[in-house]
Amino acid sequence: MSVSYKAVQWNRQKLVYDAVLLAALGTYLVGFHQLAPRLDPNVEPMNLRMRAFGSAAFLLLHVVLSIGPLCRIDRRFLPLLYNRRHMGVVLCGLALYHADLALTWYHAYGNLEPVVSLFVSNPAVGSVARFPFEWLGAGALAILVLMAATSHDFWLANLTAPTWKALHMGVYAAYALLVGHVALGALQTNTHPGLTAGVVLGALWILGVHLVAAHRERAADTPATAGADGWVEVCAVGEIPEDRARVVFAGGERIAVFRYDGRLSALSAVCQHQNGPLGEGRIVDGLVTCPWHGFQYRPDCGAAPEPFTEKLPTFDLALRQGRVWVNPRPHPPGTPVEPLPVPGAPGGEAA
Amino acid sequence: MIAIVETAVTLARLYGALGLAFAVAFVLLGIQRVDPSARGASWGFRVAVIPGVVLLWPLLALRWLRGRQTPVERNAHRAAATGGAR
Repeated sequence: MSVSYKAVQWNRQKLVYDAVLLAALGTYLVGFHQLAPRLDPNVEPMNLRMRAFGSAAFLLLHVVLSIGPLCRIDRRFLPLLYNRRHMGVVLCGLALYHADLALTWYHAYGNLEPVVSLFVSNPAVGSVARFPFEWLGAGALAILVLMAATSHDFWLANLTAPTWKALHMGVYAAYALLVGHVALGALQTNTHPGLTAGVVLGALWILGVHLVAAHRERAADTPATAGADGWVEVCAVGEIPEDRARVVFAGGERIAVFRYDGRLSALSAVCQHQNGPLGEGRIVDGLVTCPWHGFQYRPDCGAAPEPFTEKLPTFDLALRQGRVWVNPRPHPPGTPVEPLPVPGAPGGEAA
Repeated sequence: MIAIVETAVTLARLYGALGLAFAVAFVLLGIQRVDPSARGASWGFRVAVIPGVVLLWPLLALRWLRGRQTPVERNAHRAAATGGAR
């Protein structure tokens, strides 16, 4: 984010991620083209391709939406999150091709321009069952295009992570619109109960994983009670594992208290890149490392190592009767704070 | 209804055409003024951001005109740290 930009910062992980993604997608599309004509022998080749790409986009959207909450539930899903933006761009490409095929198949041969025809060919705006599902699809596509177009780190830096994240939360609106698009479109013409069941199960799955993840997050975001001096108790010093953090919600955000080399340091637990959950990260090579994309910060000052320029607010710590307390009033980002020695720990003070 | 949609489509195309013209100038001349991290950036990067510039060009045009650079994010901790709360 703070060194010279590249189109894509390729590395082995991203190459493997993209290769697996494209291989899975290719397998699905080939499989769909093989199986679908057996279920519907009268389907036209172009219509078949339109369904293949549309359904692939819809399925991939389920995967994209599942990754975030699954990572909250089980850290083993984190590798899926690492390159999720590429998945979003691929999803957008599938949806655009589906839309292009639909415009050509249904709207290219009339008196009106295809795009105009798309929006005026179904005038049943007042009907729920016959509502123009094309509008819903177009709305979802607009959101997906905006998200794909702003997926580069340049946009994170220029919109700031909170705004960027808010913009990309539009994916939930896109999902809702696409459920409507499928329910009022494909499910009206193809009444196979398996298709309906699949859409309903997909929606229940998305709702379920988000509810479970939200339940876990709510515990982490319960504001801690401050003492008389305004400081907040974190935990017993022995409860913080080496090279890990304990998180406390204070001062309107999460604070991460890291233990490393017999010392303790506290940082604002919001990574400057995508606002990742820094408190769930670990110390790697002496640096606090975000679990999402590996952005790193010095634990004692919150500054990213050179040549990077990201900085996080830091906090004062104190030990009182073997328990760790944090002052929730932050120092400006990048301010060095003397680490608190852990009594009896190697590198810390004598017990 | 047709007239409304045709007008909306025309306006969207006009917005996109203006955005594309701006985007070409921006990735060639303006991007490194707005974001210092874009200095010396690859051509691949400049092409990759064009779709977003086409969509959000008024934001970047204003920033370029005003001589502003990448904003600093705000959250509760940063606001408290820089607002003299200590």
